[in-house]
Amino acid sequence: MSWLLDIFNFRIVGQYADVFLDGIIATLWISLVCLVLSLFFGVFVALMRMSPIAVVWRIAAAYIQFIRATPLLIQIYLIYYGLPGLIGNFFNETETGIIALTIHTTPYMAEIIRTGILSISHKQTEGAMAVGMSKIQTMYYVILPQAIAKVISPLLGQTVVLLKDTSLLSIIAVFELMGAGLLMFSETVIATESYITTAFCYLTIYLMMLIISGYVQRKLGGANAH
Amino acid sequence: MMQWLQLKWQVVDSLLPFLLTGLQSTFEISIIAIICGSLLGAVLGILKTLDSTILRIFINTYLHVFRGTPYLVQLYLIYFVLPSLGIAALEFDSFSAAVISLSLYTASYVTAIVASAVHAVPPGQEEAARSCGMSKAQALFYVVVPQALKLTIPPMASVYVIVIKSTAVLSVIGISELTRQGETSILRMPGDTMFIYGLIAALYFAYCYPVLRFASWAESKVGDKAL
Repeated sequence: MSWLLDIFNFRIVGQYADVFLDGIIATLWISLVCLVLSLFFGVFVALMRMSPIAVVWRIAAAYIQFIRATPLLIQIYLIYYGLPGLIGNFFNETETGIIALTIHTTPYMAEIIRTGILSISHKQTEGAMAVGMSKIQTMYYVILPQAIAKVISPLLGQTVVLLKDTSLLSIIAVFELMGAGLLMFSETVIATESYITTAFCYLTIYLMMLIISGYVQRKLGGANAH
Repeated sequence: MMQWLQLKWQVVDSLLPFLLTGLQSTFEISIIAIICGSLLGAVLGILKTLDSTILRIFINTYLHVFRGTPYLVQLYLIYFVLPSLGIAALEFDSFSAAVISLSLYTASYVTAIVASAVHAVPPGQEEAARSCGMSKAQALFYVVVPQALKLTIPPMASVYVIVIKSTAVLSVIGISELTRQGETSILRMPGDTMFIYGLIAALYFAYCYPVLRFASWAESKVGDKAL
C-alpha cells in the first residue's frame, strides 16, 4: 500500500472528507438558490427584452450585453465592494456571492428563455386569447410552460456552468467546494491531494448533472417530439 | 460635480497607461490560447468523428474532464500539482501554466463544436465525394471540412469571448493581466476601488463586445443550421 500513499495520500484526504462534504453541500446549495432566482428574474428580463417599448428593451439589452462582455470575476468584485457602499453591510459573504452569481446568470437564462418563447407558434397565443385569457394568463399558463420545456437542455447546460462558476466565489472568501480545497491546501501544504480531490468532487457533480439531464431529455423528448 | 469629474479624470489619467499594459497582456495571452486551442480542438474534433472507439473514448474523457471542472481548478492543477510530480518538463512558470491551461480549456470547447459541425454536413456530400473516387481522407479534407468550417464560425466566436473572460482568473496566479493590474492600482488608490473596477469592466467590455457582435452577426449570416 505504501506505493499508493506516495502517489496519492488518501489518508489525509480521508481526514478532510467532512470538509469536502460540507463544500459539496455548500456548492450545491448556492447553485440551487442562484438557479431558482436567476430563472425567476430571467423570465422577467426575457419579457423586458421582447417588450415593444424602446426604453424597456434597451435597458434589458444593455444589462445582457454588459454581463456577457465582462468577466464574472470583475462582476463579483464590483458587487462585493460596491454593494456595502450602496446599502450598507447588510449581507454576509455567501449572500453577496449569491447576489453576484444571480446577477451574472440571469441574462444567460433570459436569452435561453427568450429563444424558447420565440419558438412557440403564434397560434398558441391566438388560441389562448380566443378562449378569453388575458395577456398575463396566456404567458403564464400557455406560453411559458411550453417554452421552458423546449429549452430545458440549454437551461441544464447553463446550470452546469453555474455550478462551475461558484468556484470563483472562493476568491471573496465564500466557503464552498473550491474553498474546501484551498483550506486543505493551506493546512497541509500538499497541492496534489487537495486539488485533485477538489477536481474529483466537481467531476462527480458534473456527471450527476449529465445523468439528470439525460433523464430529463428522455422524459420531455417524448412529449416534445413533433 | 466638476470637481468630482476632475478628481476622477486624474485617476483615469494616472492609471490608464498601467491598465493598458494589462489589457495588452490579456490580449496576448488570449490570442495565444485561442490559436493553440483552436488548432488542437480542430484536430481532436475531426479525430472524434472518425470511426475509432479508442480515440472517441480518449477524446470524450478529455472533454468531460475539462468541461466538468471549473477553469480555476484546472489552473491550480496545472500550476501547483503538475510541478510536484517531479518531472522537469512539467515545472511551468506562471505564464506557461496560464497559456497551457487556457489552450486546453479552449480546445475542449472547440473540439465539441468542430465535431458537431462535421456531423452537421449532410452524409450525401461524403458519399458523393467517395463515389468520385476520392479516398476517405480526401473526402474529409476537400469536401466535408470546408463546409463544416463555415458552420463553426458563430459558436467559435462565443467560445472566444468565454476564453477572453477566463483570462481574468489568471490574476490569482500572479499574471500581470488586466484584472491583476487593476488590483495593484487599487492598492495604490484604495479610495477609488469601485471606480477602478468599473474602469476595468469598461476595458474588458471594449475588448469582448465587438467579438460578441461579430458572433451574432455571423449567426445571422450562417443561420442556425443544426448547431
